[in-house]
Amino acid sequence: MGLMKIENLSVAGRLQDINLEIKQGEMLGLIGPNGAGKSTLLNAIAGLLNKSGTILLQDLNLEQYSAQQKARNIALQPQFVESAWALSVCDVVSMGRLPWGDSDQQIIHQAMQQAKVSDLANRHVDELSGGEKARVWLARVLANQADVLLVDEPVANLDIHYQRDVMQLLKDYAKSGHAVFIAIHDLSLAAKYCDRLCLLDQTRLIKTGRVEEVLTETIISNVFKVDAFVDLKSEPPVVLSK
Amino acid sequence: MEKILTPLISILLIVLSWLSLSSGSVDVNVLSGLWDWIQSADNKDALIVGEIRLPRTLLALVVGAAMGLSGAALQGLLRNPLVDPGLIGASQGAAVGASGVFYFNLFSGLGALATPLAGLAGAAITLFILMGLSGSMARPSIIIMAGLAISTLTSALLAIILNFAPNPYAMQELVFWLLGSVSNRGLDNLMVLIPAFIIGGGLIWGQRRLLMGLSLGEKVADSMGLNVVAGGRYIILGTAMLIGSAVAVAGNIGFVGLLVPHILRPLVNYRPDRLLLPSALGGAITVCAADILVRLLPPERELKLGVLTALVGAPFFIWLVWKERQRWV
Repeated sequence: MGLMKIENLSVAGRLQDINLEIKQGEMLGLIGPNGAGKSTLLNAIAGLLNKSGTILLQDLNLEQYSAQQKARNIALQPQFVESAWALSVCDVVSMGRLPWGDSDQQIIHQAMQQAKVSDLANRHVDELSGGEKARVWLARVLANQADVLLVDEPVANLDIHYQRDVMQLLKDYAKSGHAVFIAIHDLSLAAKYCDRLCLLDQTRLIKTGRVEEVLTETIISNVFKVDAFVDLKSEPPVVLSK
Repeated sequence: MEKILTPLISILLIVLSWLSLSSGSVDVNVLSGLWDWIQSADNKDALIVGEIRLPRTLLALVVGAAMGLSGAALQGLLRNPLVDPGLIGASQGAAVGASGVFYFNLFSGLGALATPLAGLAGAAITLFILMGLSGSMARPSIIIMAGLAISTLTSALLAIILNFAPNPYAMQELVFWLLGSVSNRGLDNLMVLIPAFIIGGGLIWGQRRLLMGLSLGEKVADSMGLNVVAGGRYIILGTAMLIGSAVAVAGNIGFVGLLVPHILRPLVNYRPDRLLLPSALGGAITVCAADILVRLLPPERELKLGVLTALVGAPFFIWLVWKERQRWV
């Protein structure tokens, strides 16, 4: 079922004519070279940029939602997050409830459990490692319980252990009746965890489809300008430059 | 600690207010003096407590609260613990406005209210220039740069006014006023200060959620449905009202807005939204305590309040910078 439908979305000079559907329960990967417009697309959907075109959420135009309703339905995890203050992990996660105006302890604890940060609850974020921080930021968006979760490069800078944890966590979140739209550079991880992929190149969406339709050696070498090695049958799937 | 912080500061506030009412060069019975003053009795104690020490104490409390609150709000908005409310140029703007009263007799029909009102007007004008300069995006770095530019300009204006002082007395009056003090001000000053404090404080108080959301940056705050641009303007407007009116009434009392939130921040678990009330109370305590200290020093030539806070505040500020440097080395 289509949860979100994006029609003719453009951002002046940065994105052109994007048409896309995000289905309930799916993890949709957003791939493409640096500067293709991946972050711009996520930010535009989250309503942070001036754009043209239409976004329908559950068949209702997003323009008809109030800022608060929008924030309850769509959560964004930007690529670079830093806390200005040495807040406690628990306080950061409870910020996920700001759009709801409550501090539902049950939901907050559940989000911390899902992101495996319960044992860090009383630590200050400035004392945490990169991997721990990444999970805390994620727990914050999980606590929002938004229908659509937009995540920008959540596993960049993480070791393979945390990469696996975070990707699995997002996959589980999508499967529990939500949808996750994730911008990701690591094509092997994208192949392993995403249900479908969309490929952006030079501000345009050039291909959307199942993993094996998008990640072909021809498409990758054309878009990324490298000779690619692709083996989607192996476990885990491998997509590398030669 | 967080739970008992506000009650604790409140108790301290009451104790200090009492001390402030009882300290001075003449020994008086505070309770009977206050009672007589309320009854409009005309005796020495009533006059000293009601007409001199009560306005002085109340002014110290409200001016301090205004500085503490605006410091906490501005540090939260700009996400920088080293920000001082003077940074957005509001205090210098207020100083230029008020000095206009000393020299050009502006608003002379208003009597004692002329200085505070002119100060408020000066702060408002600098604020509008700041908002115009920083534009709709109002990024922290732009606000800081615009504030610096405006502060420089207002300092130059102040220098011009001093330069062309009509006579040495006017100059002396202005310089002493700039040094900051809450003595020899009547209760009518509170008529300007309190409404400005309520409106400015209310504007800031309404943006608590935004201050919390901004901890993780503008993008996150924006994506959580918080109106970063409009809310930021309310905070700047509120800060300008608080600082403008406080400076207009009491002159420059520096460092309170910088230091008080900084000291209290760890005690509220670094939450910018929960820092507001303790900072207001802490600011009130600090200025009130400093004013008591000023009175306890040799009485022949009273040390100005602003001089004392700067003397104590500057070394603390140096220590802060040093600590901040250690964090990055």
